[in-house]
Formats: sequence, C-alpha cells, structure tokens
Amino acid sequence: MLEFIEVSKVFSSDILKGSFTAVDNLSFKIEEGTTIGFLGANGAGKTTSIKMAMDFIRPTSGEIIYGSKLGKNRMDAFSNMGYLPERPFFYPHLKGMEFCYYMGELSGLSRAEVRKRVDHWAPKFKISFALNRLLKTYSKGMLQRIGFLVTLLHDPSLIILDEPLAGVDPVGRKELKDIIEQISEEGKTVFFSSHIVSDVEQICDTVLFIKDGRLVFNGSVDSIINDNIKPSSLVRYREGGELKKVQVSDNDKTSFLSRLLNQGAEILSVEQERLSLEQIFYKVDN
Amino acid sequence: MKKSITIAKYTLLEVLKSKILYNAIFLGLGLLLITYIAYSFTYGDPSRVALDFGLGTLSLSSVGIAIFIGVGILSREIESRTVYMIVSRPVSRSSFIIGKYLGLGAVLILNVLLLSLITLSLYSFIGGEYNYLIPWAVALTLLESLLVLALVGTFSLLSGKILSVMYTIVLYVLGNSISSAMSTNFVENRPGFKAILEAYHFVLPAFYKLNIKEFVLYENLVESSYLVGSLIYCVIYILALVLLSIFIFNRKNLD
Repeated sequence: MLEFIEVSKVFSSDILKGSFTAVDNLSFKIEEGTTIGFLGANGAGKTTSIKMAMDFIRPTSGEIIYGSKLGKNRMDAFSNMGYLPERPFFYPHLKGMEFCYYMGELSGLSRAEVRKRVDHWAPKFKISFALNRLLKTYSKGMLQRIGFLVTLLHDPSLIILDEPLAGVDPVGRKELKDIIEQISEEGKTVFFSSHIVSDVEQICDTVLFIKDGRLVFNGSVDSIINDNIKPSSLVRYREGGELKKVQVSDNDKTSFLSRLLNQGAEILSVEQERLSLEQIFYKVDN
Repeated sequence: MKKSITIAKYTLLEVLKSKILYNAIFLGLGLLLITYIAYSFTYGDPSRVALDFGLGTLSLSSVGIAIFIGVGILSREIESRTVYMIVSRPVSRSSFIIGKYLGLGAVLILNVLLLSLITLSLYSFIGGEYNYLIPWAVALTLLESLLVLALVGTFSLLSGKILSVMYTIVLYVLGNSISSAMSTNFVENRPGFKAILEAYHFVLPAFYKLNIKEFVLYENLVESSYLVGSLIYCVIYILALVLLSIFIFNRKNLD
C-alpha cells in the first residue's frame, strides 16, 4: 500500500552545527492487511518518516510510493488514509462534535454520515459524554480519543498512528489497543509507531526497528522472537509436595527430566525460554 | 473549492467562538464614547468631527484586528500542528490557504460592518448628511484590512510572528505616507530618489490609494475611475499575495 525506497531526510540546522540526518536510506513496504509496529527510541526518526509518508515534509532523497490500492493520485490516496499525530492539539474553541463534522466534511462525508459514524465510534472510544464540550476542556487522553475517532471517521484502509498510546492512562491504553486490534481484524492496514515494545508485541504482526534513522530489523514479530529463542527450558515440577522450577540447558534437558521421573517427581510444565520482543529490542539497540 | 469553503466556515466559527470579535464591540463602544466627547466639545461642524473620528477608528481597528488574527492564521496552525489534521485528508495545500483567508476575511467583513454601522448611526443621529463617498470609504477600508491580512499572512510564512507584524506595520505606514512624501520639495529635487519611490508603487502596496477620508470629510469630488481603479488595484494585490502564500506554503516543510 505504501513503500519507502531508499528514503533519506537531512535537516540543515546552521552553519556551525552543520546538517543532521534524521532518516538514512530507509526502505520498507507496508503490505495490505498487516499491522505493522514501527519501533525505535525517541529521536530514532519514526515521526520524521511518518511526516514524509503524509507529505508534510519532503525527503532529501529517495521515493515514497502510494500503492494503486490507495488510489490513482495523492488526493485519492489521502481519502483512503487516516492519520493520528503524535501530539494531539486540535481547535480549542470548537466542540468535539463540531471537530468531527469539520474533519468528516473535509473527507467528503455529509453531516448525516458523520453523525452516524460518530454514533458508532464514540461509545467505543468512551468519548460520547464530551462531544458537546469545547476541545480546550479535554484532557490529553480525551484529545487522543477524539483524534483517534476522527482518524477512523472516513473508514480509511491505511491507518497511520504516531504514538497513539502516549499520554493515555492504563485503562485507556487497553481500550485503545482493543480498538486497534478490532480494526486490524476488520482487514485494515495499521502502521503504528511506538517506543513501547510490549504494545507492539501485543498488537502487531510485523515489526520495523529503526535506530539513528536506519532500519535495523524488518520482519514478523513471531520470526524475530523465534530467532531469539534461548537454548534452555524452564521446568516446573512438584516433588515431595513442594513446587519447584529449574532452568536447564537444552543439552541437559532429557537427562534432567529422566532423573525427575525416576525420583517420582510430578512434571508440571517444560517451557522453552525465549526473549520477549522488549528484550530483543534492547539487545538490538545496544 | 468546496474544501476551502468548509475550512473557511470552521475558521470563522473558531474565531467567533474565541471572542476576538468582542474586541470589535468594545472598540465600537469606545468609538461611540470618543465621538460623543469630540462632538460635545466641537464648535462649527460637529457631525464632520464625528465622521472623521468614526472613519479613522474604523480603519485603524480593522487593520489592527487584521494584523492580530492574520499573524497567527498559518503560523499557529503549523506550530500547534492542527494543520496536520487538515492536510492529511484529501485537501490540497492551496485549498487550505484559500479557506483560511476566506474565513478570516469573513471575520474582517463582520468587524467592518459592525463598526461602520455604529459610526454611521451616530453620524446620522447627530444630523450628518449622506455623502456618496461614505460607502466607498467603508468598502475601501474593508479592502485595506483584507490587504493587511494577506500581507501579514504571507510574511508569517517566511518569518516569525514579531517580524511579520513589524514588516506589515512598516509597509502600512510607508504605503500611507508615500504619496505625501512624493509631493515634497525634497523628493521633487532628487530625481533618483523620486524614481525609487515611483518604483515602490509597482512592488509594494500603496495603501494611500485606499484612503479617501479627506475627500469624504471635505466633500470633494472624486472621479469614479479613481475609486474603481483603487478597488481593482487592491483586489489584484490581495490575489497576488494569496497566490504567493500558496506558492510558499506548497514548498514549505510542515515540521
């Protein structure tokens, strides 16, 4: 649906400090129907990449291609894309519902269609109660919710979310993650930037690691985790009425289990040890 | 164009709700008070004093509000990143600029209508007579404020807010005083300097063309060709500035 081909972005600061490369020769492809986590530390180049994808800033070199499924031209493509910015600052003097009408009308929806879609999404985002309030009275979490809602208003097929869970309380995070999973199950393509690895592990099927503007890893979440399986297992067993757990290397596993069985111990579980995505991320990052 | 109208509609709504037009109402009340005081202490032709104060305040307040709302028209959208919500939709950058100018232009029209209604009501109340130039003066004041809006909006795409306001005020003062400056002996005796000032007309806005208050007050005749010429000049200038804003904005990195 969207492809980055050797995209770089260099920001010129001043004569003394020189230039700064935010994104360096980045290439990746967003396939239809996938949920992609775009991971990287703060300042890794995630937001800059997203800004280029949304045509807010232009690449210094390289090319960004909008797939034919998004539309024939930029306008068509943007009709099928939904975007939630990193920091939600909306029009403070508009009410929540007025903001929905504004964004919906810009996406070519009638007021009746906007109303219908808001009625569908607002309860899911738990923001119905605030639609008649001015946006300046919204908390950060509420702004994130209404921003997310207007992102989905025109039923886009590609949804780009820049740190959508930042600044949201734990309950809110769970609710927003559920919504991302739901739209993902509906077949939408979700591109989701975050520096919180566990969120990406939970929601995404594909992950992109970016470090210092360069792509470090691009692949499925399962494959990166399988590639980082530890050569050891965690054995839980009961012996003499006492619950025990022991970590054994793969080489010693069979002999250890035989010994336990001979001693009359009850083996409760044998679990291959693996690194979490977060541990892998730190490993790669360092 | 439909997208521009939508942006204009919600820009107007946002400004109206932000209570900026309350300033116009307070100005109107202040204007009434000042005009009444001036009228009460004037011998001779008090209605002319009322009209002089009224048109002068109308012009200054409209220009002031144009600068105030115009300097943030685009820079605030970029700084607060609200622009992302617009241009991430099927909206071209040119539609965004046109919509913003239309919305703020509507604010200025409301402001001028409100203040001119107060001024002319008072003028009529104290016995002032209708002059065919009065509607022209109001219309040209409106155009003057729209020109200032386009000017400060364009500057705000190129530099910071304070500099944009300063550039606009400098051009406004220069554009109003250049006609008087050109008729001085100092300029008349220096052909090179005179040529520079004449060249100014082709590049920078000649605000003096939009100021016909002297003609209104002293009931001098003004040729309709001058009035229409001023109007056309201003409209063309505004359109050129809007096009320039679009050109700059299309190339601007929104980071």
